[in-house]
This record gives sequence, structure tokens and C-alpha cells, in this order.
Amino acid sequence: MCVRETSEYFSLSHDLKMSGIYTLIIKLTNNDRQGLPKVKSLISKYMRSPLTPEMATQEVQLNETLAHLKTESETLKSKLEEERAKLHDVELHQVAEKVEGLGQFVMKTRRTLKGHGNKVLCMDWCKDKRRIVSSSQDGKVIVWDAFTTNKEHAVTMPCTWVMACAYAPSGCAVACGGLDNKCSVYPLSLDKNENLAAKKKSVAMHTNYLSACSFTNSDMQILTSSGDGTCALWDVESGQLLQSFHGHAADVLCLDLAPSETGNTFVSGGCDKKANVWDMRSGQCIQSFETHESDINSVRYYPSGDAFASGSDDATCRLYDLRADREVAIYSKESIIFGVSSVDFSLSGRLLFGGYNDYTINVWDVLKGTRVSILFGHENRVSTLRVSPDGTAFCTGSWDHTLRIWA
Amino acid sequence: MSSVKANSNSVVQTQKLVDQLRVEAGMERIKISLTAADLVHYCQEHRRSDPLITGIAASSNPFKDKKTCVLL
Repeated sequence: MCVRETSEYFSLSHDLKMSGIYTLIIKLTNNDRQGLPKVKSLISKYMRSPLTPEMATQEVQLNETLAHLKTESETLKSKLEEERAKLHDVELHQVAEKVEGLGQFVMKTRRTLKGHGNKVLCMDWCKDKRRIVSSSQDGKVIVWDAFTTNKEHAVTMPCTWVMACAYAPSGCAVACGGLDNKCSVYPLSLDKNENLAAKKKSVAMHTNYLSACSFTNSDMQILTSSGDGTCALWDVESGQLLQSFHGHAADVLCLDLAPSETGNTFVSGGCDKKANVWDMRSGQCIQSFETHESDINSVRYYPSGDAFASGSDDATCRLYDLRADREVAIYSKESIIFGVSSVDFSLSGRLLFGGYNDYTINVWDVLKGTRVSILFGHENRVSTLRVSPDGTAFCTGSWDHTLRIWA
Repeated sequence: MSSVKANSNSVVQTQKLVDQLRVEAGMERIKISLTAADLVHYCQEHRRSDPLITGIAASSNPFKDKKTCVLL
């Protein structure tokens, strides 16, 4: 009979059970009915009382410190709430009342990029405003010329579900990763016959899936976020970990770097409903926002760097002001019940585009908080959305295997 | 003994939480009326250079189809 099912076992203290000593003793004494109770009582005595008086006081002291710290953390949390509430003297849309409304928007699909064999999971624009890299569940990463819809390069990754891809600032390389827990960099060559997979460089190593990656200002460093709850900054050349960012309590799903003029920070969003702003040099979390009611799938900085937007499974997009340290706008409608997979701003920051799981794209007036337009076209959920670097168009990728360029 | 270890782990974790909260509580914050005004100002300033708002001629937008030439 299994030791754990005996009635004696159930009567033991938690510590004793966990120590596994009891189970061991049973095995050693071979269930000797006479010797066993003696051994058992000795062990119980050992486990219940500490060996020395010093240990007893140590335990008491620790409990006191723990209680003290807990009360301090509660006080600090309520103080934070108070401070943030003090600044809430006006709403964003009230300040924006005098701003003239936006006219009617006519945006249509101008190009459809077909070629992926399965769900498109991620895409990124090249700085030349015409090339796009996209990655898919079938393990393929394709580089397209968005003007002509031609495919310029294709790489097959050794894993499926390539959830993240990014274009290098120089346009000479792409980074991608997913279920392989790694981020790999592929230099793009002009020679179409060259096998890109041969020159692959493994840069990042996480202990769970890679959810997002982005080059910093140069081709030399990559920032990654992972299902293991951390973000990390890597040197591309050596593959060395430069800084790691701990603080999320669950999978980190997205990240975005601050516009270069505003300094070395980035924002990340995760399954713990939190959006954290980090200092890239110290690894410290400098601000944290927790107002969403579900996983945050996408975060994007406002073009000035003073705010950021987030899109979540709770069907809302929210705008957080970094200098006021609070949420300043919610973009939602009762009729919208499906989660937002990705968000991006137009060049001036006036428009916020959101790709939703109900196959549509909603366009929001950032200042007034109203919806400006709703776009249809995809035949399955929109999984990724990015505005082009010069703001002339935006691209969406979907589970319907296609990418669409809208303008 | 194992309970002492478990306790010291929670102490370390809670200490980290408290340190983090102290950092966040010490941050200097600005009223929304001022920061929101800055956001609005930024939008207005860059409005003209935002092609998706002001729209650019079909001929200069590489994605929009150019009008075909009709021979009369």
C-alpha cells in the first residue's frame, strides 16, 4: 500500500510530510510495526521544535520582519493610489474639446500579400518604408516588397509558431523567434540563391517561448520578451546577455522601445495585466500600470514618448500618460467584445489603430476618445498591425494567412 | 527548519516589493491638465505631416492606385 495513504501519514505535520523523511523511514524499517512508532515520535520531535534556541528566535524575528514589510507595502500602495488620484484634475477628452474633429476616413486595402501557408503572427516594416518582414505559424519568415507584393526572401525556421520578427534598422538583417525559445538573426543578402539559413546567428536564449523582439537603435543590440516572464537585452555579435528585466509575474507578451529622442526606456505588457516601463541601463522597473482586466497583447509608445497605448484581451485599448503616471483614456465600446491583438499610432499620434480578434480594425481618435472608423477585410483574427515608418499606410497580418496594406 | 527557510524567502520577496514601491512612490508626477495639453499640442503640431490624416495625392502615395490616363 502506498505510504501516503496510511492514516498515520495524514496525522503528521506539514513540515514532516514535506521533508520526505517519514516516507524514507517507512521504506528503511520495512514497515516494522514495532520499531516504527519509536522512530516516528523521534522524528516528530525533531521537526516540531528547532534544534537550538537561536533558531527559535530567528524564526520569530523573521515572522516579525515579514509582517512589518507587509504593512509597509500596503501603506505604500495606498499612498501611490492617493498620489495618482490627486493629479486626475481633468480628462484628456475635455482638454481636447476645442480640437477640431476628424473628417470621414476612407481607408481601403491597397495590397494583399499572399504566400504564407498558415496564420501570420507578426510583421515589421523596414526603415526604407517599402519592405516588410512577416512570420507565420508554419515556421516561415518572408521578406516582401510591399509596393510590388513580390517576395524577396524566405527562410524556414526549425520551429513552428514564429511569434516574433523584426527588421534591423540598417535593413540588412531580420530577427525572429518563437517556440524555439530563441531569437535568431539572419543577415539578408542580395544574392537570391544564397541560403539564408546557413548564416543564421542565435542571439537570445530564454527558458520559454519568445513573444516579441526588437532591435534597439542599431543592428548591434536586440531586446526580447518571453513567456518565461522576463525581458532581456542582448549583444548581437557575441550573443551575450547585457541586461535582464525581472518584474512581471507571468508571460510577457509585447514590448516597445521609446522613440530615440526620449532616452533609454522601453515598455512591456504581460499576462499579469501589467504594463511596466523599464530603464534599459539599470534593469530597474521605473513605472508600473495595472488597470487592464486581462492579458495585455500589445503596447506602443506615443510618437512624443510621453505616453503609450496598450491593447488587451479585455477588448479595450488604453492610453497611459508617463508624466502623470496614470491611465488617461480608454478606447472601448459596448459592441466591441473581442480582444485587441495589436495597436499602433499614426505619425502625429492623433489616430490609434487596433487590430481585433473579431477580424476588424478599429480606428480611434486618440484625443477625443471616439471611434473614427471600422475596417473590414480580413477573414480571420487580426494578429499584428504596424504603421509604416513614413506614415503613409499601415499593414496588418491575420490568421487568414494574408497581410494587407491599408491606405 | 524548512519553515524558517520559507519565511526568509518571503521576506526577501516582500522586501523587493517594498523597495520597488518606494521607488515608484518617490516619482515626481505632473497634473493631467498639463500633460494632456502637451499631448494635444503634439498632435496639432504634427497634423500636417501625418499622411493618414491630411491625406496625400494619389500620385505621390505609392500604395494608392494612380488614375489611368484617358485619351480623348
